[in-house]
Amino acid sequence: MIKEIMKDKYASIAFIILVVMYLMILFADFIAPYSKDFSDRNQSYAPPSKIFVIDENGKFSRPYTYNYKREFVPELYQAVYTLDKSHKYYIKPFNRGEEYKFLGLVKTNIHLFGVDKTGRLYLLGTDINGRDVFSRLLFGGRISLTIGFLSLFILFPIGLIYGGISGYFGGWVDNIMMRFAEAVMAIPSFYLLIILAAILPSNMTSTQRFTLIVVILALIGWSGFARVVRGMVLSIKNEEFVSAAKTIGASNLRIILKHILPQTTSYVIIAMTLSVPSYILAESGLSFLGLGIQQPDASWGNMLKEAQEYINILYRPWLLTPGFLIFVAVLSFNLIGDTIRDILDPKGKIRE
Amino acid sequence: MKRVIYLIILIGIITACLPACLKKDSYISQSEIPVVKEVQLDKYPLNKIFPNPKTVTINGVDYLQSQLPVGDYGGRLITSTIGEGPKTFNPFTAKDATSSQMANMMYDGLVSMNPVTGDVTPKLAKSIEVKGNKYIIHLRRGIKWSDGKPITADDVIFTWKDIVFAGLGNTSVRDSIIIDGQLPTIEKIDDYTVVFTVPKPFAPFLRILSNPIAPKHYFTSIPNWEKSFDRILATTINPKDIVYSGAYHLKKYVPAQRVVFDRNPNYYEINLDNKKLPYLNQIVYLIVGDLNNEILKFEGKEIDTITLRGATVARYKAKEANSDYYIYNLGADTGTMFLAINLNNRKDNKGKYYVNPIKQKWFADKNFREAIDYAIDRKSLVTNIAYGLAEPLFTSESLNGIYLNKSITGHNRDLSYAKELLKRSGFYYGKNGFLYDKNGNKVEFDLYTNAGNTERESIGVMIKQDLADLGISVNFKPVEFNTLVNKLTNTYDWDMSIMGLTGSPLEPHNGKNVWASNGPLHLFNQRPVGYSVDDRLSWEKELDYIFEQAALKLSFDERKVYYDKYQQIIYDERPIIYLYSPTRVVAIRRKFKNTYPSTLSGVLYNVEEIYIEKAKQ
Amino acid sequence: MNIIKYILKRIIQTLPLLFIVSIISFFIIRLSPIDPLAELRLNPSISQETLQKETQRLGLDKPIPVQYAKWASSFVRGDLGVTSSGERVADKLKERIPNTLLLTSIVIFMTWLVGVPLGILGAVFHKSQFDRLLTVLSSIGMAIPSFFFAILLLIFAVKTSLFPVGGLTSFDFDEMSLGGKILDLAKHLVLPVTVLFTISLSGLQRQMRANMLDVMDSEYIKFARAKGLSEWQVIFKHALRNALNPLITLLGFEFAGLLSGAALTEYVFQYPGLGRLILEAVMKSDINLVMASLMMGSIMLVLGNLLADILLIITDPRIRGVGK
Repeated sequence: MIKEIMKDKYASIAFIILVVMYLMILFADFIAPYSKDFSDRNQSYAPPSKIFVIDENGKFSRPYTYNYKREFVPELYQAVYTLDKSHKYYIKPFNRGEEYKFLGLVKTNIHLFGVDKTGRLYLLGTDINGRDVFSRLLFGGRISLTIGFLSLFILFPIGLIYGGISGYFGGWVDNIMMRFAEAVMAIPSFYLLIILAAILPSNMTSTQRFTLIVVILALIGWSGFARVVRGMVLSIKNEEFVSAAKTIGASNLRIILKHILPQTTSYVIIAMTLSVPSYILAESGLSFLGLGIQQPDASWGNMLKEAQEYINILYRPWLLTPGFLIFVAVLSFNLIGDTIRDILDPKGKIRE
Repeated sequence: MKRVIYLIILIGIITACLPACLKKDSYISQSEIPVVKEVQLDKYPLNKIFPNPKTVTINGVDYLQSQLPVGDYGGRLITSTIGEGPKTFNPFTAKDATSSQMANMMYDGLVSMNPVTGDVTPKLAKSIEVKGNKYIIHLRRGIKWSDGKPITADDVIFTWKDIVFAGLGNTSVRDSIIIDGQLPTIEKIDDYTVVFTVPKPFAPFLRILSNPIAPKHYFTSIPNWEKSFDRILATTINPKDIVYSGAYHLKKYVPAQRVVFDRNPNYYEINLDNKKLPYLNQIVYLIVGDLNNEILKFEGKEIDTITLRGATVARYKAKEANSDYYIYNLGADTGTMFLAINLNNRKDNKGKYYVNPIKQKWFADKNFREAIDYAIDRKSLVTNIAYGLAEPLFTSESLNGIYLNKSITGHNRDLSYAKELLKRSGFYYGKNGFLYDKNGNKVEFDLYTNAGNTERESIGVMIKQDLADLGISVNFKPVEFNTLVNKLTNTYDWDMSIMGLTGSPLEPHNGKNVWASNGPLHLFNQRPVGYSVDDRLSWEKELDYIFEQAALKLSFDERKVYYDKYQQIIYDERPIIYLYSPTRVVAIRRKFKNTYPSTLSGVLYNVEEIYIEKAKQ
Repeated sequence: MNIIKYILKRIIQTLPLLFIVSIISFFIIRLSPIDPLAELRLNPSISQETLQKETQRLGLDKPIPVQYAKWASSFVRGDLGVTSSGERVADKLKERIPNTLLLTSIVIFMTWLVGVPLGILGAVFHKSQFDRLLTVLSSIGMAIPSFFFAILLLIFAVKTSLFPVGGLTSFDFDEMSLGGKILDLAKHLVLPVTVLFTISLSGLQRQMRANMLDVMDSEYIKFARAKGLSEWQVIFKHALRNALNPLITLLGFEFAGLLSGAALTEYVFQYPGLGRLILEAVMKSDINLVMASLMMGSIMLVLGNLLADILLIITDPRIRGVGK
């Protein structure tokens, strides 16, 4: 299938972008010069570091940068950043920095690049707490780009089994199950999302919170999916191979799992790729309202929240990068989803 | 062919990026600090003495006469209110600031306040005599409600006796004047004189007389008015039906968009030419959902005045010289930002402790609380989070409070002293650098604040780091606002929390809800309603006593002694660690004259005196 | 006669649905630790007695099932209750419904006006570069977080002063002439409509394209082509009519969406619509208001589906058998 995706111009670009993104977040510890919590409080809202490759004598040089010096100008009510030209910091590949566990296994302190300890390298500036936006984008991506997938892995089994049982048995079972699913569908999903997010108990670790948000996202999506699966099962169950299985005496559960559900695979794959983006967007919406991933953890949604202030958009455009990344990721998923749909379902038979 | 095109595009992109990548360094250190030009602006000097209006009698009518320069008539002022807009126009049922503000536009009280000194000045009352426990109020003669009925002692008696004392609507005023379980009494002497008698001398009482006066004939004309009190002056009312006394009256309320007030042509205040105020024809409050939208509206010139916060000040300050507005730095605001520590050592009705007993021991330890205080870097909080527009705060009274204890000067961050304090209480450091108590428990607790508030979230992140320097692990947990309040006032299951409250700079007694041991906002050691066991800490007892006694003293100097003591106790015991107090900066379009913004009252307190020069209308 | 019977049957079928919806939502909201009185509690000038009075008035001191029973019985009698700040829920909804209707109907109209033709074009030029470009363009619209797009547009409005900064009407709206009023409304509506339009366009375009492809593949279109009709005649005379049928179902869904509002967009633009009202209500657990709007949403959904089904029965004789 990857071969076929690569045939399409847009989809191939999207695919490459996504692969790069996922690799980046997988190796975030290594690529990011700082950890997500590293902060220099004298560098709050520092602009991106200026990187020089031609030195003051006009000669090429290894790339280097200067630190920023912050001064508070009381007349302007403003902190002003100037380059502190007293010391050059060369950007070193495989620099030794903060310690972390590579892929969660090997303890090391080697980062892809960085500057000496007293230097500061902010590729995309810093946020209000003086934390490196570039590093936080990588760590935030871990949450934003996986949250959708994880909820799909909860949502799809539920939807498949629920829809499968309902469609297969039909009659009153179907009636009751579908009424319940419809009731869940009838509640506008965004409000349901907020209500559920607001109930989250507050004394949770960030991992627990993350998991529960995943579950909530799943709770909202399963019903629509289940309904479609049920519709498909209704038509599949009358096919010959199902009655054949029945005559051999296969159990109902076995028939549903082994014979009927596999028939829905292409729909599942299409629906999956097309619904990942909506979960990424849902997370950002939740964070916008302060109900998603919480500080000090990073997600693209809660980083973007900081950027929405008027003054920040005007004077600190680097804070907008998470919005740009959300856009790119969602667009890429959509483009790939479209292509996969064309490949698996060339006639557009399957409806959402 | 296609490849060539791609190649050209690629080269194009690279050449576009090159200048960005190949940055040339130079010897000249570019100074990015813009030169600050102090432009002489035709502003009103701040803290100028604001002249109180006087009473003049013309043809038997006791007018209130403004002492500010005479201005031109006409024009409108557009301002904003943040939130969902008014919930009612009834000043007696209003429970939120916006509703009260709107209702008070239409209903004056007996007294008002000088915006600079905070002194009580007469409003609907012509004068007030205080004789021991008696407050004799002389009302103005000849002034009228909007429907032409005179404003008399009956209205005052009705307001206080039948509404306030009877406990209709929001009972907060009533509850605040119960002294020793008794309410004051009120008596009519004649149509223009009433007497209040308080059971004991009670200092805050005079200010409470600013509570609006209701038109008796209007309220009682509503069938079954006591039962349906909540529905009187509801937001759905037809504005034409309202009987009012204030300088402005409701013209139209458009839900979630704006509230429009029109001029009262028969208002009882006049200018020095003896012409009737107010000058402006219309006051419009735009209802804006959040600060961001408010700023955008000011930038888009849709509103005329705004309170500027944080980073926005820098932008507008820089542009002030070439703009159509003035910026006033009013100094310390009434708000405070603080870190509260939960000292609760009680059990819930299932026998479970609200706060983990191990943590209880730390929090109950004065050294521990002091160490936390010394570990906090207020300077960075002020520069990073408040953009320098705040002052470090160490007292429970805000910096513009008239009872501020100026002998409390605070301290700098001092980690070694903090560590010393911890050592004294038996805390020690493990090999991993973490702090342990003398029983070997790792010091780790939760820090809450309300999510969605960037300011408080950033404070939390900084405090977490500050305390990490002491080896303390803080789990910082921003939670939804309502959830947090539920924790603070109901379930008590929190350790520390970053909060802000707005107090009254003039009357510390209003803080009784926080400081009295049975107060409903006694956050740091909240007792359930109806809790009868006396488990007050020694200093809590002292606070109770101070607040009781200080209210009974009438002179400022006598009260100051008590309130100085209370601030000292809070500073020593640190159940609440104060962080900073924001500075209030406002912007007003230049065309408005007679504006005397003050930190106590803001901008629009003298709205009837504000005018626009004819030429600029 | 059959149709009336069918409608009645459908309506009776929806009652349990509404019941389940109300139970689910009520219990979820009430189980949350959100305190509807939080703001009051934190206000130092609000006394304990006032708080107790409020607690009793809102019935917060009673067990949840009792609260639900109370709510349900008054809802059935048509009384929506009061909000946590004491205003009538029915009044609040009434204030907002026209605004939301205005916004959503314009958006739906625009989306259909543009989305349906684009969908047809996509299908006609299936697999061509043009088709691909259309899908990519519509994907772009779908990929921007709505609130972020809205904020950027607002800043655009401020910077260019072409459009007002949010809201629905100017402060002097009442003094304007009719023409002025319409112009004022239009100016305020441009930006929120742009955001919602961009977001919803792609969905419709895809749907229409899929419908068309489906129909173009069918036997009778092949037959029509075989008859020697020109491609455009085939499309407009035969394919289009059949492809529109599924859209009627979709229209039913759109009808349901009429009143649920677009919370985040309305919030950023300070649009006085239902979405913002419900969002604020949910955030502070204003149960009567939330319940009323959720029930309204469900009823609209049911009605929308019903309307769509009836329309289908009328337009498509093949489905008429359903009623029996």
